[in-house]
Amino acid sequence: MRRFLLRRLAAIPLTLLAVSLLVFAATELVPGDVARTILGREAGEEAVSRLREQLGLDRPLADRYADWLSGFFTGGWGDSHTLGVPVRELVLGRLADSLVLGGLAFALLVPVAVTLGLVSGVNHDRAADRVISVTGLALGAIPEFVTGVVLLVVFAVRLRWFPASAQAPDGATISTRLGHLALPVISLVLLCTGYVARHVRAGTVAAVESPYVRAAELRGLGRARVVRRHVLRNSTVPATSALGVQLQFLLGGLVAVELLFNYPGIGALLLQSAIDKDLPTLQATAMVLGILYMLIILVADLAYRLLDPRIRLGGAAA
Amino acid sequence: MQESPHPDPRGTSAPGGPGGPGGEVLSRLPGLSRRLFLGAAGGAALTGLLAACAGGAGDTAGASGSRTVPASAPGTPKTGGVLRAGSPPPPTAVDPVTMYDGSAIAIVQLVADYLIWLDRDFKLVPRLAEKWESEEGGRRWVFSLREGVTFSDGTPLNAKAVKATFDRLLDPKSKSAAAAAFDSVLAKGGIGVRGDSTVVFTLERPFSDFPYLVSAGNYNAVILKEDYAGDFTGRPVGTGPFLLESYDASSGAVFTRNPKYWEPGKPYLDGVRITFYADDQADLLALQSGEIDTQILSRPALAGPLDGVGGITVDQVQGTGLTAFTLRVDQPPFDRKEVRQAIAYALDRPGVNAGVYDGIGALGNDHLFAALFPAAPPDVPQRAKDPAKVASLLAAAGVDRLSFALTYDPPSKDYALTVQDQLKQVGIEVELDQRTSGDFYGGDQEKDTPWLFTPANLVGWAGRAVPSQFVIPMVKSGGVWNGSKYANPALDAATDAYDSATTDEERRAQAAIIAGALHEDVPVIIAVWSGAVRAYDAKRFTGVSAHPSSYVDFSSVSRL
Repeated sequence: MRRFLLRRLAAIPLTLLAVSLLVFAATELVPGDVARTILGREAGEEAVSRLREQLGLDRPLADRYADWLSGFFTGGWGDSHTLGVPVRELVLGRLADSLVLGGLAFALLVPVAVTLGLVSGVNHDRAADRVISVTGLALGAIPEFVTGVVLLVVFAVRLRWFPASAQAPDGATISTRLGHLALPVISLVLLCTGYVARHVRAGTVAAVESPYVRAAELRGLGRARVVRRHVLRNSTVPATSALGVQLQFLLGGLVAVELLFNYPGIGALLLQSAIDKDLPTLQATAMVLGILYMLIILVADLAYRLLDPRIRLGGAAA
Repeated sequence: MQESPHPDPRGTSAPGGPGGPGGEVLSRLPGLSRRLFLGAAGGAALTGLLAACAGGAGDTAGASGSRTVPASAPGTPKTGGVLRAGSPPPPTAVDPVTMYDGSAIAIVQLVADYLIWLDRDFKLVPRLAEKWESEEGGRRWVFSLREGVTFSDGTPLNAKAVKATFDRLLDPKSKSAAAAAFDSVLAKGGIGVRGDSTVVFTLERPFSDFPYLVSAGNYNAVILKEDYAGDFTGRPVGTGPFLLESYDASSGAVFTRNPKYWEPGKPYLDGVRITFYADDQADLLALQSGEIDTQILSRPALAGPLDGVGGITVDQVQGTGLTAFTLRVDQPPFDRKEVRQAIAYALDRPGVNAGVYDGIGALGNDHLFAALFPAAPPDVPQRAKDPAKVASLLAAAGVDRLSFALTYDPPSKDYALTVQDQLKQVGIEVELDQRTSGDFYGGDQEKDTPWLFTPANLVGWAGRAVPSQFVIPMVKSGGVWNGSKYANPALDAATDAYDSATTDEERRAQAAIIAGALHEDVPVIIAVWSGAVRAYDAKRFTGVSAHPSSYVDFSSVSRL
């Protein structure tokens, strides 16, 4: 376990370097001219070229990359080209907001999806299994902006039970904030539940049909006890990687939900900075997300191993 | 309005330009998943549909479907209350000197004021200037400032502050686009003061519409303190009806009543709260759910169906914004006038209005004098679809089969699709060439930028207060945004004469020459003049109204 962890940690700097190269190269390819974007298309060429020079956009690419990389790792993320505010505060603030929304959705997703997957797997090929599978599949196939709009129209516009915006006013209480986050969280859970539950169901079915479960049942253990002691742990192992994928999505890929529910998260920031060609913000956001994804994958791998010690990671024997 | 087309890669621009939904922009971004693309692009249609369904199910208050309502209801205004408005986040830092998007303009207009306001019917309304008059046949303009006006920090408004404001705009270092509006009219050094309350503008040439250039029509021309250094949101000082209490680029802005406002008794509101919505569907849903009371920038196609639903009123006003269908007259196939005319006769203008402008626009006639402009010539015959004429004109030009590429950016996508469909009906093939806004307006404006150098393109132009602000940059010989490369000495002479005309009759005579030349030569096709709308909750507030340039004047808004 320790060797695995050390090997993975040692690989992080190299991975980060590769990520930084990719991020820098990709963001440079975003079409458009940042100076023109800032000043508007009506600005004269002289003003645009002066601003380009001020922003250092006329410098060689390699110099800019080196400066950006050293700046990123020493905390000097610079100012947003378009908004004129410090990038670090902007990105980390948005990341914190995304962690709140994604974290809440994940906290609700895990028990709901695991429970439904278990129920489905234990009752496989019965009515409950079919209902859960078909509903989960249907909800998973509907894009989140569709479920989001339906939730908004029903619960915010017609019934007015919840606010339309996920953004609570300054000074709002925790319960008010949770009320604002209710609809986006529900739309995310509806989207992700089916996918995770399917993995839990598959693990459950495999576990239920395994010899040790049959043996336990033959020994006279009750169904509930068998599920709790022998099925649950084994059925969640295949779901771990699925949850890792969903967590990545929930923490950085929520652009549509953030836009629809007006939530100032990091996904919307990534999109907006790409549209505005706000390079410092775009590059920092992409790097932060890259690091976050690496950490999620690492944690998922560790959880995988913890849940099932038989699994060998990286070719090492346990 | 500003003498320039309106830059708006995200469709957030206020004045007149066709709003750009984010969906098309999304679809052009590399690395975005299909899910995101569908989420953004499909959301618009779905939200509109559901919004319509939601309204139709229960509320019947606005069954008449009328979109035009009085700007304000009669009665004694009530004081107090906070108006909550939704708006797209400004794409750049809010700086009155360089701002160009509708959200930033609205924020500044709540806090600062102009010498002259531009009303919804294009009338000039005195604000910080009480009166103005021309001398020397329109070459010198003298403005008398209102007495007793102070900035929100207590500093008295004086002529020096006004002079500093315009000197700042004219300074190339400021990078203000307003400099283009004064091009060849007013140069730095042309502004003088007489005492504390008189400002004198000495122009480079007579310009009869000069008051429009120092009015809200030139939206950067808000009067700032003499020592303004650029940090507007950090140190917001103005003479406007509200004080900017807080500003967050991600979430919004909070304003409170300015107790030092110069107009007695106003504003009626205690404050205004603007919440930023990066997606206009979210903005609209917030209005429907009662989370906000009005929108700063309403899109006709989205807001229109909500009129009368659940207490929402959608006020409508005519505008002077347009989409210029520009044809390069210096290159085949558009170097033949007959070909350009053929395309103009192939368009079904009412169809463009209905399909692209939600029916709120006014038909264009391929010249740059909207009916709102007082000098608009009334006797140019309205051009209409005429397939027989298309065929004869193409035959006269010796063109058997016409096909060309049409270049545009996402906000003009609907227009482009409509043009493609309509021209196909008369046998003209149009290949659509959609670029990102960054690409379309990128490049060098003197060499290769697509919006000025492709053979045929669509450019959204914000509304203008005076026709010269279209004519001079767009079609005058060597105009800074002359994408058609049109050059006509007669039009040039008439344009100069129009600007220096001292009587309405003379101005109308020159306008007729300009309009006639453009209608005949068709360097740009103007199919429709856009209108503007603003949606608001009429159950709670009165005095909210649409403006041709989506400007905001909430000083007269009161709660019900």
